[in-house]
Amino acid sequence: MTALASPRRREARDGHGTTGALLGEFGALREAVHAEWTKLRTVAGPGLLLLTMIVVTVGLSILEVVVQKCPTSCSYDTPKLSLTGVLAGQAVVAVLAVLVITPEYSSGMIRITLTAVPRRITALAAKAIVLTGLVLAAGAFAVAWSLIAGRYILPGNGFTGAHGSEALSLGAGPTLRAAAGSVLYLALIGLFSLGLATAVRDSGASIALLLGLIYIVPLIVQFGILNSRWERRLEQWSPMNAGLAIQATRDLKTLPIGPWPGLGVLALWAAGALLLGGVLLRLRDA
Amino acid sequence: MSTGTVTPYRSPQRPGRDDFPHLLRAEWTKFRSVRGWVIAMIAAALLTALAVVAIASSANGKQNPAANPTVAIGPGGEAVTDSFYFIRQPLDGNGSITVRVTSLADGELAGQGPGTSTHTAQPWAKAGIMIKASTAAGSAYAAVMATPGHGVRMQWNFTNDLAGLPGTPSAASPRWLRLTRSGDTVTGYDSTDGTHWTEIGTATLTGLPSTVQAGLFAASPPYVAGSQGFASNNGPGGIDTHIAASFDHVSLAGGRVGGAWTAGHVGFDTGPGPAAGRISVNGSAAPATRHCTSHGTGCKGIAGLPPYRFTQAGGRLTLSGSGGDVAPYTSIVDPLGTVLKGTAVGLLAVIALGALFITAEYRRGLIRTTLVASPRRGRVLAAKAIVIGSVTFVAGLVGTAVAMPIAERKLHTGGWVSSVYPVWALTSGHGLQIVVGTAGLLAVAAILALSAGTLLRRSAAAITAVVGLLIVPVILGVILPQGPADWVLRLTPAAAFGLQEGTPQYSQVMHTCEPYNGCFPLAPWNGFIVACVWAVAALALAAYVLRRRDA
Repeated sequence: MTALASPRRREARDGHGTTGALLGEFGALREAVHAEWTKLRTVAGPGLLLLTMIVVTVGLSILEVVVQKCPTSCSYDTPKLSLTGVLAGQAVVAVLAVLVITPEYSSGMIRITLTAVPRRITALAAKAIVLTGLVLAAGAFAVAWSLIAGRYILPGNGFTGAHGSEALSLGAGPTLRAAAGSVLYLALIGLFSLGLATAVRDSGASIALLLGLIYIVPLIVQFGILNSRWERRLEQWSPMNAGLAIQATRDLKTLPIGPWPGLGVLALWAAGALLLGGVLLRLRDA
Repeated sequence: MSTGTVTPYRSPQRPGRDDFPHLLRAEWTKFRSVRGWVIAMIAAALLTALAVVAIASSANGKQNPAANPTVAIGPGGEAVTDSFYFIRQPLDGNGSITVRVTSLADGELAGQGPGTSTHTAQPWAKAGIMIKASTAAGSAYAAVMATPGHGVRMQWNFTNDLAGLPGTPSAASPRWLRLTRSGDTVTGYDSTDGTHWTEIGTATLTGLPSTVQAGLFAASPPYVAGSQGFASNNGPGGIDTHIAASFDHVSLAGGRVGGAWTAGHVGFDTGPGPAAGRISVNGSAAPATRHCTSHGTGCKGIAGLPPYRFTQAGGRLTLSGSGGDVAPYTSIVDPLGTVLKGTAVGLLAVIALGALFITAEYRRGLIRTTLVASPRRGRVLAAKAIVIGSVTFVAGLVGTAVAMPIAERKLHTGGWVSSVYPVWALTSGHGLQIVVGTAGLLAVAAILALSAGTLLRRSAAAITAVVGLLIVPVILGVILPQGPADWVLRLTPAAAFGLQEGTPQYSQVMHTCEPYNGCFPLAPWNGFIVACVWAVAALALAAYVLRRRDA
């Protein structure tokens, strides 16, 4: 495999200066990122999935702000209401992340990828960078439109200043945190999915595992029959319950986990999954 | 080209037959010979069982006030609400009681609830006649009553309910009611004129003592309105209602000579808020007009509500008041149904397998071999659906049948009392509904996934689509307000989760069905039909697309 490595890589390894080596590493990563970008850009799937993600996220957010009426739900957290769509959009992000890696295994393309970029961690990092960039861009778009929908629809449903809810504005610190945090949440879900999919290598198995990890805990916890200690633990440590704490803008003291620590828990899940995927990618035959 | 001299090649093999059983066998062979799939299906059954049992173990009823409410226990061992106003006298041996109801009015109790201006009728408020074993809460009874929303009813021992004449009684169109006791049986009749009687039904009240209490009664349960997501009223409460009924032509055949009427509140209250505890029966003789101003010892009403009162003038008796009910006690919390949502773990595995059953063929190109071997593509898909559906059904049946009894026992020992949250035997009707229904839900999910896999040809997209249709709606059911949540749970295949409801519901009890508490708006099997319609439609679309598209 080393014989097939690009001349630039060999040059980097032969050069004795650390600066040269670093530049070489960086150059290799940059080229790998470019290659991954080309792979995603030149097939229809990723673009369609990002579009689906935007439609699903904005659509569900609009549905939620249209059906919530103030007389009964004035006390609701309006930025969180407007960002409800992230709940469904994340599943599409997971699909996209899985499809960044697993089809390469089923088609054998992974061997070409790893021949071109023999440093496997670099190859995975390149995929992670391209995926994160795409999800951040599409996520920002979806979150922005969700908030715009909330800003213009909620006052019509009675969520007015008179009932204690100001019009949504990114000028408000907590709303900005919820918005930026939701975009980061989607990106972290993408990284979490990429890491797990790299470890699992099969698209069906990895998406089933991911959707289980994301959705089953909220499905059970929401009915509130669990032992309160277990319920709290699950809410603090499950990727979705903890991660979506970032959308809360009021009554933060009553949350099982604060907004940033919650997103941190999801980051831990993502880091753990990437670590697992990276280690297995290095150790295993492709 | 001397074609005549060349004998075309013929395989010595017997040609394969193109009949459906062979196609089924081919698909079954494909499934069972992939070791990973067989392992995954067994794992799905095991994981379902494990998840259900694990959730049941952590569902601690001792922390939950709904787990062990203060209730009366009915003759069948079930939790009941038995709290009403009873004007009665003892009846020795056989006899009968007859009355004419000339008016029945009900409505929201003034000054209560958020919408005090609107008239909120409680369709199951009740006034009529009753024969009851004793005044003890939960004792056996049979009653014929007029209701504002459901006509004349005959009810006995809390869980039994039969319809009599329709309509609400009025002065122009009164209702005559009669109960006749003979040994252990009590027969109910109704009539519009007091001469032509129709039998409504016969109740057998095992062990009815020779002396029973017979008389007039009224109860007006609270009106329960959904307030999803704002669990300020998280119990069997609601807007208090009142009832006012006028009776005349009261006659008691077989009563004691000179027997006196006793009036008072019977039973104990399980109304809103913390249970009020036992309310003793007022045994003092009733004056002609009775006004209670406080809940002192001589004057018993239902905690927090204005007490019942009655006035008597010239053979005409008016009885009015608020609160109480004579009905099975139903809980809005459904621990068994929630615990059974643990099947979502197995459901995910089954969805993945259903999708892979066809997408794997696309990935490997096996689909072309399959379609060459049996060119009638619709039948190939049908065979696949039957194989994956049956395998999943069996796995689901085994997994649920093993998990449910263990989960029920864990809930029971965890503090969820069996009078309110029954422990269903596997062979009981409801137990079978849960086990067979869960297996059916899994089979339908597998067929949906197979169809989605055929349509999308990508396992990741197909699995996500089916999860979006089956699991995400249940989460949305909690997030959305009640109206839209109900529609989401009616229209998506997630409606089939209603089959897992573990708390019984009775048609004669007004019930708040909130998705927030895990209740599904459609009747269980109707929800399953919705899911089946989805599966059949998806399969038909998949068959159409499979025929039109190049493989």
